[in-house]
Amino acid sequence: MIFRKKILLYTLISSVAVIPVSAQHTMHQMVSDGAWRMVPMDMNMPMLPGLEGVVPVVSPFLPGSDIDVSSIPAAISSEIVRLAEGDTLELTVSMVRRNVANREVVMFGYNGQYPGPLIEVMKGSTATIRVKNEIQMPTTIHWHGVRLENQFDGVPGITQKSIATGEHFLYEVKVPDAGMYWYHPHVREDVQQDLGLYGNLLVRSPDSAYYGPVHREEMLIVDDLLMDDEGILPWGSEAPTHALMGRFGNVMLVNGQTEHALTVSSGEVIRFFITNVANSRTFNITFGANRTKLVASDVSRYQREQWISSVVIAPGERYVVDVQFESSGQTIIANTIQAVNHFRGEFYPHVDTLSQISVSDGREKNDLDGEFELLRENIEVISEIEQFETYFNQVPDYELETTVRVRNLPISIVISMESDTLYVPPMEWNDAMPMMNWLSTGEQVTWILREKYSGLENGDIQWEFDQGDVVKIRIFNSPDSFHPMNHPIHLHGQRFLVLNRDGNLNQNLVWKDTAILPVGSTMDLLVEMSNPGEWMFHCHISEHLQAGMSFNFTVREF
Amino acid sequence: MVTFLTLLLGLVAESDFKKVPTSSLVGENQFCRASSVPYYGFSLITTKNVPGTGQGSGKVELTFIEDSPFGVSVTDDGSYQYGLNISLDKINIRGRGELVAWVTTRDLSEIHRLGTFGENQTIQGSVDWNKFLVVITLEPDPGELTQKWRGPVVLRGMSRSGMMHTMVGHGVLQEENCFAYGYGG
Repeated sequence: MIFRKKILLYTLISSVAVIPVSAQHTMHQMVSDGAWRMVPMDMNMPMLPGLEGVVPVVSPFLPGSDIDVSSIPAAISSEIVRLAEGDTLELTVSMVRRNVANREVVMFGYNGQYPGPLIEVMKGSTATIRVKNEIQMPTTIHWHGVRLENQFDGVPGITQKSIATGEHFLYEVKVPDAGMYWYHPHVREDVQQDLGLYGNLLVRSPDSAYYGPVHREEMLIVDDLLMDDEGILPWGSEAPTHALMGRFGNVMLVNGQTEHALTVSSGEVIRFFITNVANSRTFNITFGANRTKLVASDVSRYQREQWISSVVIAPGERYVVDVQFESSGQTIIANTIQAVNHFRGEFYPHVDTLSQISVSDGREKNDLDGEFELLRENIEVISEIEQFETYFNQVPDYELETTVRVRNLPISIVISMESDTLYVPPMEWNDAMPMMNWLSTGEQVTWILREKYSGLENGDIQWEFDQGDVVKIRIFNSPDSFHPMNHPIHLHGQRFLVLNRDGNLNQNLVWKDTAILPVGSTMDLLVEMSNPGEWMFHCHISEHLQAGMSFNFTVREF
Repeated sequence: MVTFLTLLLGLVAESDFKKVPTSSLVGENQFCRASSVPYYGFSLITTKNVPGTGQGSGKVELTFIEDSPFGVSVTDDGSYQYGLNISLDKINIRGRGELVAWVTTRDLSEIHRLGTFGENQTIQGSVDWNKFLVVITLEPDPGELTQKWRGPVVLRGMSRSGMMHTMVGHGVLQEENCFAYGYGG
């Protein structure tokens, strides 16, 4: 443990604006000597008594810190790559130079792009991607949500050896389901994904009426990045920092940009494919006063389209929404939340602008008003799910609960946490305790998935199924722990339905691969074990995953 | 809590039992009973101000509303949307009126009427505030749609989120100067 000077307890806001270092820590008498820099904080906060300048117990990591930044190629915007059966995409993982919030920073990129290329394929086809690793860390690519052949799932130590620097790996990604998917590393996601290694995989249906008509489509990859006026805050080298709550950023990114903007015509209907690639942040995305129709999620369309006022999207999830921009003028796409100020014990409204939308006076000529008003019932989805109804009322095959264990955290943090957890919100929309969160590392925090009856935890859990089994899994997010928190639960290689939450039957089902579990809640997943192999089951908050919150299950070929 | 009680008692003192015309229950919330999230439930505590209710109690169970397609129900301003299942126990008002449930903001600046309890002394409603109070009053004329209660408060309780309070001046921060952070004075 390295001691410096005084340290803070909490901060108020994860702000869009990058807070100058000089304004962050003057009153706190913090010093930014050495490689660690203190996380951005609100200055109107008291010191936590009894602690003197603690920094994380792991060493800091920033890519390219020993390289002349100007020698690194500047990143370029994402390109669309349409792959036909038999085509091969060469994908190189490398360092890129980017300007984010007016800071020149070194990040990672796929083919030098941010985000990585938008790969577009037809349902049922096989995309072949040859990955070359040119970063100084091993890596892999996980094809999130795709029910592909196990050996191409991208999990090091399970489905493949990680790709060492200078080496290649050939992925053959067969895509059985239409929808929006994404790809990212499965090696230190908290670092590599945060540094820009993510991209979308759009699987088109051969049915031209798979979705309703719109004027155009837009991709919205939402993310956040933790920065100060010197650039990106370092990550933990041996283990992640921010292990309690995950690493929230203070700079919002849409498609890798801080100033995303669109120009649309009055009356125009736009389909947004939204993907949350943030390490930890769940977004509540609003589209101003514009009517928003929910169409699809991870692995399928909904049984029934429905009107919504916002999109709650957790890390790893995808949603497809159609939005009609009716009134001319300026509007925004925003992350609209009630943030928590733990210090003052208050909720407060907070809005992050994600995209500026200019709606022109000129009315869209091709009027889709009638089609947009229609809420479609997706008979194919309804019929397919009906085949699983016999399993809806079965008792759970397995029950899990989530919890956390900590050790060797500074005692003042432990005391503060224990006295401050009389109330824990269902969702952590913002990092309301950035100092304590920063100081909690994967060496001190273990996040746990625990089997209810056996008591087995994480990697000790052994589940085996036969291909074709339909399994009900009940998961309870226990509020009785040191720091309860929401968890986006992700299963590799399979699809599932969220049958009910807290005993409430889900009235509008959709096939998922990732689902949010708020604190205190219970959800029942009905998993179709359709895909043989050894697969991961984990929390998709990157730091929770790195802090242990995962296990593997096997589906035997039948 | 002191402020809360003072406000409640103040309203009780101002209330009267005058009968006024009734109308339909506009804004009445109907909510299907469902399993709750026990952690966020809370108790209703008797004021002991109404005969026959001194031994009474109640509880409020919270659910996320059912029609959300997401894992958590929030409004477009990010507030949680909860279903409320309220039940009472050992309350005997002996025909002196009806018990009415209300939900209010903590400063009582907004009050919503949830409805009148039936014979089984349960009621369902909803709320989209993150911190709130549930107040049960005895109304001589429950059909009247008043903006706030007129009868005496029988029971009241605060959402669990009310436990989230300022840390200044107590606990590990007890030595901090409250005035420096906008408290006191």
